[in-house]
Amino acid sequence: MPRAAEVWVIRVVIAHHAARGPYLADAAPPDEPLANPRARKMMSRAAYLAALALADVMRALGLSADERARAGYFLGVGGSAGSLEDVGALLDASIIDGAFSLPAFGDRGLPACNPLLAFQLMNNFTMCHGAILEGLGGPNGALFSRGAGTVAAIAEAAHAVATGECELAIAGGADVATHPVTLAELARDGFLARGLVPADGAGLIALRAGAAAGAAGDVVLEGAAHASGRGRPLDDALDDALDDALADALARAGRGSIAEPDVVVLAPWGPPAADALRSYAAARFPGARTSDTGTRGDALAASPALAVIDAARVLQATPGGRALVLALGVDGDPGAVLLAQEAA
Amino acid sequence: MTPPARRSVYVRGVGAFTPLAPTWSATVAQLADGACAIREITAFDATGFPCRHAAAIDRELPDEDRRMPYARAAAREAWMQARLAVASARLGVFVGAESGRGRWATVLGLARAARGAPGAPGASGAFDHARFAREARPWADRIDASVLSPSAVAVALAHEVGAHGPVETVSLACASGSAAIVEAARAIRLGEIDAALCGGVGADVDPLMLAGFGLLGILSPRGVSCPFDAHRDGFVVGEGAAMLVLSAERGDAVVELAGIGRSLDAHRLTAPDPEGSGAARAMSAALADAGLAAVDYVQAHGTSTPLNDRIEVAAIRRVLGAAADRARVSSSKGALGHWVAGAGALGALYAYHAIAAGEILPTANLRTPDPLCDVPHVIGRAVRADVHAALASSFAFGGANSCLVLRRCG
Repeated sequence: MPRAAEVWVIRVVIAHHAARGPYLADAAPPDEPLANPRARKMMSRAAYLAALALADVMRALGLSADERARAGYFLGVGGSAGSLEDVGALLDASIIDGAFSLPAFGDRGLPACNPLLAFQLMNNFTMCHGAILEGLGGPNGALFSRGAGTVAAIAEAAHAVATGECELAIAGGADVATHPVTLAELARDGFLARGLVPADGAGLIALRAGAAAGAAGDVVLEGAAHASGRGRPLDDALDDALDDALADALARAGRGSIAEPDVVVLAPWGPPAADALRSYAAARFPGARTSDTGTRGDALAASPALAVIDAARVLQATPGGRALVLALGVDGDPGAVLLAQEAA
Repeated sequence: MTPPARRSVYVRGVGAFTPLAPTWSATVAQLADGACAIREITAFDATGFPCRHAAAIDRELPDEDRRMPYARAAAREAWMQARLAVASARLGVFVGAESGRGRWATVLGLARAARGAPGAPGASGAFDHARFAREARPWADRIDASVLSPSAVAVALAHEVGAHGPVETVSLACASGSAAIVEAARAIRLGEIDAALCGGVGADVDPLMLAGFGLLGILSPRGVSCPFDAHRDGFVVGEGAAMLVLSAERGDAVVELAGIGRSLDAHRLTAPDPEGSGAARAMSAALADAGLAAVDYVQAHGTSTPLNDRIEVAAIRRVLGAAADRARVSSSKGALGHWVAGAGALGALYAYHAIAAGEILPTANLRTPDPLCDVPHVIGRAVRADVHAALASSFAFGGANSCLVLRRCG
């Protein structure tokens, strides 16, 4: 994809990161306290995992209330979806003579339901619950993600910091592949049969610019791009679309080409995407070590964020190292994130 | 490295599909006369629901997710007006949207498969993965995520206009449409793309969403949307789509998108910040981004809920100061209801019309302004005015705020 020279260059430090999951369907769900325990019953599981990860990041950063009020928050979110216990109670009370009745739904279903169901249903609440608990008040976005779209949330956060819209931004993704409706979708589309392992998770990174940027040893996010408009079915050849995502990320890093990274971390939507990414990485970067976040379970919209965290962890122990995260979502939409550790 | 200069963003086309008419140009004439699209719901039996009225689109439409025909029609009108020549790789699509709806029987079947029918042997009420694996498959076959997903709309529009640049979906509840316009403007400003189709769509005249809003107690029991009126008692759901085409190239544009501002309330889930500080921060940020201290017109979020309208007016006064006495204020929701994910984009069209046509559309159903909402309202019919700049605000459930400043091109 042609990129003009006037593209803004992003270069922001990953100040901290936190991950929850991926948790597989048969794993015990995390049961950890929130700043406001009463908030839990209003949360979808995705919102809960995101809130836990956000609390970790905020504890580590030790921000003042004013700093939190200026901080941005950008999250790639999947379908939030209410708990089926709540939806089921609503629907069960709406059955008359074995058939669903809309009048009964209005008369009896509503009183039978959790009155805060709406807070579970809307996708933005995956982000808003945590923001309220932690007092984040800056620029924000809940970008719907079918996998790689989370890279757009990370890129947006990096831009918000790089352009001075905020001094610090939290970015990442959260999703729950074990939700029954999501499982149904994955089954219908054949992903479960092809080996996708449903998992839940949340991953967040804190991005900071200013005087802290560029200190030796820092892990820097150099560029991120989601070439969503080039998406095609996952079984098509997708190398050219991945090339586009990489070229866009390089443009945002102010570079025209990429040296072989030390590590390539893959964030695929199930095995067909993993095969495409592995093949691409092996052909383009034969000397790089490759890992795949999907091998621990597919947490869908959370996967690219978890992959960035995996890459950051490797770079923290790799002076002068470089990493590339490649994501591929269910729509065959590719994303790329470039990271590096500042040399001493 | 010195960043390049920020590029200007021009409004090249607008379009809408509304309960009043299938185009924005046909809708505007009715809005100017004070028309209101809110009627008793006929699409389904709303007996027993907390609100039985809505601004619904009841035309014959193809049998598909309702968001699609709304968004396609709005996009087509905006795109035709824009007459753009842009490389596909430099064109993006940004849409504010929430999920489409599965059929009731499917949702009920999945719920039963997950937790058992009430009273059935082994039904504990808790989710049972083993039972789900056994029983869900027939229902699973009816869930097509590629159609019902929030992102389905943006993907479909990208195919229609041949966009190979970024295709993004913002799910930010009532601020989705405005936030999608923010994303588009940001991408053009920073040089990622040269043009964008952007906006929002709402299709929530639907039992599940009416139930969700009803449970929160925020719908008007009378079924009357009258923002800023002393007798307001809640909002009324509406539906439709509003789209804009933005470009870095001015062409024959007369309006530019000059300012964007976003904030989070960080207050409480169940109530807005009583000080309106989050809303005020988003308004101030948008004005500062545009380099302005005041505007001639405010397209308010104005939902017709008792608390929100009062808080919003206080925030407008705090941000504009004495200039608030000179800025006309109106809300689209009196005439067209609350489009939720589409509402912010509809607000942007009201602001655009005020500048481009010199005509401020009224707040329908506003008859007795609440003394606690004391600003220069536009009541009854549209008024002619020389509008140089306008502010369009959107404030979402959960406290996400998004504001736009539109300005006449210099």
